[in-house]
Amino acid sequence: MIEAISIEIDNFLNYISEVGISKLFRIFWFFFMFELFRYLIVDMLALIMIKIKRVFTKKYRDEARRRFLQEQPLISILVPGKNEGKHIFKLANSLREQTYQNFELIIVDDGSDDNTEEICRSLKRNGLIDIFIRNEVRGGKASGANTALRLASGKYVVHLDADCSYDMDAIEQIIIPFYEDERVGAVGGNVMVRNYKESLATTLQGFEYSDAISIGRMVSSYLGIYKIISGAFGAFRMDVLRNIKGWDIGPGLDGDITVKYRKLGYRIVFEDRAVCQTSVPNTFRKLAKQRLRWDKSLIRFRLRKHKDVMLPSENFNLLNFLSFAENITYTLILNIKWYVYVFDVFFNFSGMIWVILLMNFFLYTMTNYFKLIFFNFFRERKNAPFSYFIPFAPLMVFYHGYFLRFVRTISYIKEIFFKASYEDAWNPEKTSLKAKEIGI
Amino acid sequence: MKVSYENNAIKSGGFDFGVISINDPWNSERIAYYDGIIIDGVNDDFVRNLVVRIRSHHRSEVYLKPIFLLKNVSIKDPIINELIDGVVFSLDQVEFVVERTKDISLKVKEILEVKSLSFEAEMINKTINLLVTRDKKQMQAFPYIRSGIGYFYPELSINFAREDESNVLKILEMGEDDGLFTSSFNDRLYLCTNCNGGFLNYREVCPQCSSSHSTTEDMVHHFPCAYIGPMKDFQNTIDDELNCPKCNKTLRHIGVDYDKPSELHTCQKCNHKYQDYHVRAKCISCHHDNYIENLIPKEIKNYTLTRKGRSVAYNGYVSTTRDFDEVPGTVKYDVFKIMLKYEIERLRQNDYTSNIGFMHLANAGEIYSRLGLERQKSLIAEMIGILRHNLRSADFIAFYDASTLVLSLNEIPTKIANKILNDIASLTISLMKRNFKTVEVQIKTNAIKLTTEISHELQLQNLVRTIDRTPQNIEKDSEENE
Repeated sequence: MIEAISIEIDNFLNYISEVGISKLFRIFWFFFMFELFRYLIVDMLALIMIKIKRVFTKKYRDEARRRFLQEQPLISILVPGKNEGKHIFKLANSLREQTYQNFELIIVDDGSDDNTEEICRSLKRNGLIDIFIRNEVRGGKASGANTALRLASGKYVVHLDADCSYDMDAIEQIIIPFYEDERVGAVGGNVMVRNYKESLATTLQGFEYSDAISIGRMVSSYLGIYKIISGAFGAFRMDVLRNIKGWDIGPGLDGDITVKYRKLGYRIVFEDRAVCQTSVPNTFRKLAKQRLRWDKSLIRFRLRKHKDVMLPSENFNLLNFLSFAENITYTLILNIKWYVYVFDVFFNFSGMIWVILLMNFFLYTMTNYFKLIFFNFFRERKNAPFSYFIPFAPLMVFYHGYFLRFVRTISYIKEIFFKASYEDAWNPEKTSLKAKEIGI
Repeated sequence: MKVSYENNAIKSGGFDFGVISINDPWNSERIAYYDGIIIDGVNDDFVRNLVVRIRSHHRSEVYLKPIFLLKNVSIKDPIINELIDGVVFSLDQVEFVVERTKDISLKVKEILEVKSLSFEAEMINKTINLLVTRDKKQMQAFPYIRSGIGYFYPELSINFAREDESNVLKILEMGEDDGLFTSSFNDRLYLCTNCNGGFLNYREVCPQCSSSHSTTEDMVHHFPCAYIGPMKDFQNTIDDELNCPKCNKTLRHIGVDYDKPSELHTCQKCNHKYQDYHVRAKCISCHHDNYIENLIPKEIKNYTLTRKGRSVAYNGYVSTTRDFDEVPGTVKYDVFKIMLKYEIERLRQNDYTSNIGFMHLANAGEIYSRLGLERQKSLIAEMIGILRHNLRSADFIAFYDASTLVLSLNEIPTKIANKILNDIASLTISLMKRNFKTVEVQIKTNAIKLTTEISHELQLQNLVRTIDRTPQNIEKDSEENE
């Protein structure tokens, strides 16, 4: 066995020393054309530009902060959820530590069947919660958020998840972009993994959040194609939110509302300095379940509900189109194309399959290491030392390349052919049924 | 049986009954004079007022008087029914109440009235006397609209002003602690923290501003678009249909395309929206808005007189755990009487004028019940101090009862004696007002000349009888007093 592996490694090393650029590109065209270009070169250039821009716009940022703090607008923090009572005390406490204190905390208990109501009523009596509303019947995340919105009276709305905690200046940081540019309609916060040390699954997600998600959103925001404000931490202009009458039913309501803002012509930006920490699924099984739900929303919302963004009309907007196109290309189309690539490799280079797999692993691992080190210079706020992730960079090849791709494929198939998102238990059946009936 | 009716009085079976109608003048002397009183019950308010005034009187010959009602329909007030001794439908029927009058009169003669310095002890004594002379063993609490606390013990509560009625419960507890009563549970009530009133208006209030002015709306959740809002959001001006303001679809069927997951209150004062309202209890009497968790809980009990309790009526009840020790500066009433007797003897041999006088707290019930036992003691001590300071050392003072002091004012003209008493009363009122801010003291004073013609006992009785006729002293200008 060991002898066989050492032979393959010898073959691989010989192959590297002998193969020419053109042949390398022919075999690994997928990597060079898409992955390396979009996720390394574009990201690197964008990050450098962001860094430069920040240096030159620092005084504008300071001025925006000054205007914000001078105005002291009321911020409505909405936290809808079911059976989240156990998290609310910690959340309310972490909010008391915020540098910006002119906010109202509105908790909506969406038909909990545990002691959430008792906990929240007690916290309200003790002044830790400003408004608490209990919906006796569960209506789903969107109806919970809309209930809270109904009672909110702030100038800006910050939507939070109950199981998250926040940097002490998180609220301040997420509101400042509204004062930097009045065209900004919504701001996404930077979600980091709190339990990255808990298991292999959480560590790999920690790597993914700090690399693909956090850096990815910084870049897409810079490019003007940022497409999803996380439900765990996002800020919205109240007037716009009231105008569009709140959230539509999910799953994927955070992506949906971002598209609605974009359609109205507002800028959507990502604020990496507004940091929120969350606990991610601690097993691959739970993670798969979560991602199956997330990935279905791409089909449901981008290809069905908001397909008009891709079509020429009087409201056509190039940036919105590019945002959608990039999303669909890099998640749906390339996902399919990857299977074509695998078929191509198996069909045309079947004799070198192990060598190609090793080469593939080598290329991606090297890229991961490069990104890990390079991106580290551009992260202003880290919750884990990048050195912690060094041993796990090779595993990210399997995580990204195989696990997530496989989950995504299943999800797309289920949604395209069976509209599975309408059967997701994440929403009550009564609402999913109606949404499916009218096709939203 | 011979019945004769003359001058608003009726004689039957050897008893004289005074008949009092709505416009008739009456006073305690007249009540005390007759063996029984018949009240013409044409006007319920008049009947109530008269019964209350008789039964709450401080003299036993008044408050124990048999009272009958002349009425051809039964009265609805349960308390009056408890406090009268019978009903006659016409004056011709008076012979039917003779036996009852005789029975009560015999029992009244049997009881021993011992004056107590403690207001509480006096109230217990009075209540037990009333029960024993009416052969009652039980005292029940009646839910009563005119009661300050909502429940009324007719024989006891009658002595208290509406705002002081909660003291009834304390006094009954004392009686129970002293073994005079046993009790059984009747009800539980909650009293105002400010005034001990029992008439409370419980209502939901805004948790932010405590206003009870709010509106309540059902929140409607439209399933297809997750819109949440009150029903009025879905109404339109054109037809009766309910249309979603977000997706414009028509609401058809609750549970299928919409539901009402919650109810929301909106404060009309501060616009706060809430579900978890606070409950506050507003006192109808003093308007204090109570937090319900702070309300004073009280158990309402029905009381049964024990054997020891009954014996109080025959042996007197002075030495209770709540009674006062001897008050410095005074002598005991028995000693006072002996000294008075000697003074009359001296008068027979000398040619000068001596007097006896009283100083009566007209609103003693109100004062004592508001002050509580400890402050009651200090009020009395302060009053005695003022008297002692302004009287000569040869003049002596005694307690006639918890609200009346009797004094000897020897070797001065009666006019001067009255002036001295009036001045002391004004000074006392003024000082009390300063020291006991929560109560207003009303004092009556009078002095009469001692004669050698009648016994000291009879002269004391005559003096005490003038209490009801005596007007109250009013506070003089404070500078003048000082």
